[in-house]
Amino acid sequence: MPFAMRYLVFGLLVISISSSHLRADEAFLRQAAESNVNQRYVIESVSLAGIELDQLPASRLPKTLRSRLQGLVGAQCDVAMLDDLSAQIRRELHLRTVSEHLLRGSAPGRIRVNFEVVRRDLFFDISLPRFLYHSKQGWTGELDASTRFRQNDLKIGVVSNGDDLTERFTGIAARYDSAPLGSEKIRAGVTLEDYHEQWNQETRNALAGSDLDLYRSRWNVAPEITFAVARPLTVSVGASFTQTASESPAVGSQATNAATLDVHYGHRIEGDTVQQQIDGKYSLRVATHALGSTYAYARHLITARYEAKAGRQTFSDEFTGGSITGEAPFFDRFVLGSSSTLRGWDRYEIDPLGGSRVAHNEVTYGYRFGARTVEGFYDAGALWQSDRPATLRHSLGVGYKQGIFVMSMAFPVRSGRLEAVFMAGMNY
Amino acid sequence: MVLLAGGVPLGAADSLAVHLDGDYLRVSLPHVDFLKGKPLDRLKDGASVAFIGKISITLSPNSLNSVTQAVARFAMSYDIWEERFSVTKFQSPENKRPIAHLTEQAAENWCLDNLVIDRGLLPPDKPFYVQLEWRAEDPKDQLGVIGDPGINLTRLVEYLGRPPRSPEERRLYNAGPFRLADLKKSEVRAVRG
Repeated sequence: MPFAMRYLVFGLLVISISSSHLRADEAFLRQAAESNVNQRYVIESVSLAGIELDQLPASRLPKTLRSRLQGLVGAQCDVAMLDDLSAQIRRELHLRTVSEHLLRGSAPGRIRVNFEVVRRDLFFDISLPRFLYHSKQGWTGELDASTRFRQNDLKIGVVSNGDDLTERFTGIAARYDSAPLGSEKIRAGVTLEDYHEQWNQETRNALAGSDLDLYRSRWNVAPEITFAVARPLTVSVGASFTQTASESPAVGSQATNAATLDVHYGHRIEGDTVQQQIDGKYSLRVATHALGSTYAYARHLITARYEAKAGRQTFSDEFTGGSITGEAPFFDRFVLGSSSTLRGWDRYEIDPLGGSRVAHNEVTYGYRFGARTVEGFYDAGALWQSDRPATLRHSLGVGYKQGIFVMSMAFPVRSGRLEAVFMAGMNY
Repeated sequence: MVLLAGGVPLGAADSLAVHLDGDYLRVSLPHVDFLKGKPLDRLKDGASVAFIGKISITLSPNSLNSVTQAVARFAMSYDIWEERFSVTKFQSPENKRPIAHLTEQAAENWCLDNLVIDRGLLPPDKPFYVQLEWRAEDPKDQLGVIGDPGINLTRLVEYLGRPPRSPEERRLYNAGPFRLADLKKSEVRAVRG
């Protein structure tokens, strides 16, 4: 626990600094923008770095951003929205700073908006998108370098992940997402991964009598094409070509070549007092000998999530269900007992080899105090093999969230002893 | 009663005057000039600038432990057609006091006039010091270090490499010691704050 204690102290320090009385919170800065006296004026033109929108080449500005900027012309000056747009321009064009300048227009009551930009010294971003400390699993983290050129995104990262799979995998992942292909609704992408694996001793001990293979490295290339079918619905089809190098020289290299399909639905309902968000995802991977695969299986995974926010209160429920027919390698088997499923349980106690069936539900209630949220959660789930009965397990916990930072303490529900697991991290 | 004051950490040689006004302790400066430099440039560009003012009462000079304090939040903007300032004091999300068509000096004075501390909270029988802090806040997206994509290390390095906060963005004045019984009393005015 000393690492956890150190992390706890660090977390409390961050929280105490950020709650200083003299620090303006985001809500106040937004109120300040909304009280701007220039809001009564009508915008007659918009320019970026002094160049009028219609003079800017198409390749310089993403279409959605351009249409948002064009939408300002003829509307009342909404300074809070101009702040948001400055942030969006800065993010999407990878600029150092963007600030809006209001200028007198051609007639009283009319104004011009110019977004002034400062370019960056480096053309790429280095970021820490996710990290997690788990008192049983240790650290999980990722460090990325990303860049954008003419609406093409490229990201290269180093990863060490002991949370998502049965094994810990460490290595490099790269992702390329193309600019829209002809239409704004079609994009192509490709993922490249090269990992080294580390296996838990309990997995090794449980392996006897199983056909599963422990591999020491894994390499994958996964091209896909994504269609935005409708505003809330996207469909991605692609393939995944994975090579694993077995620890056993007699087995050698094995291939897992699969066709992939992902369907994502996301819908937001804005009410007067309640905001609701509904998300659903279906994922299918079919590996077949016809594609030169050593393994042949079909993996189905469904996730459905509902969230409601009313005033200071938040409620969410997330269900996950999955099934594998055939024999899948370790990296495609299901796991429970991670930072987001059956929190508090030891995954190797549930099943050190992972499972071919999974059902899990997570209920969370949160209460917000300013920028901070205190949460309570209840997880219930089962992981099993198709030829064995399922055992339902439960866990309870509490968490503290501020922005993207989260600390939580989870307790597996079982008779005999009470053993807590501590988790702290960001974006998990 | 006018007492010595020193601008800290700027070392500005301004005098912070303190007096009682009915049930409130008020402060005043002979030359209020927090509207200058970068915050003023941002205002003239049409942006909103958020200011936070704080009066702290301490029992020793420059102490970090205050006996009591009052914090007020102001949002200021500049009408680019009328060339006049507008100020809104935010007491709570639902309770705000706006005022418009002000000159630069009038806007500064209005803010200071709306920053008061309740007389009942002052030490009745001990000498005390008064600290006035005035601070302009950065626009919310200026840093972009922490957001949905996580911690952006490139921006963090850029942020750490920035020049320190300019003196115009944070001003600090100290005065004292005072005794409640000795403070000059002005005519009772309408309750503000």
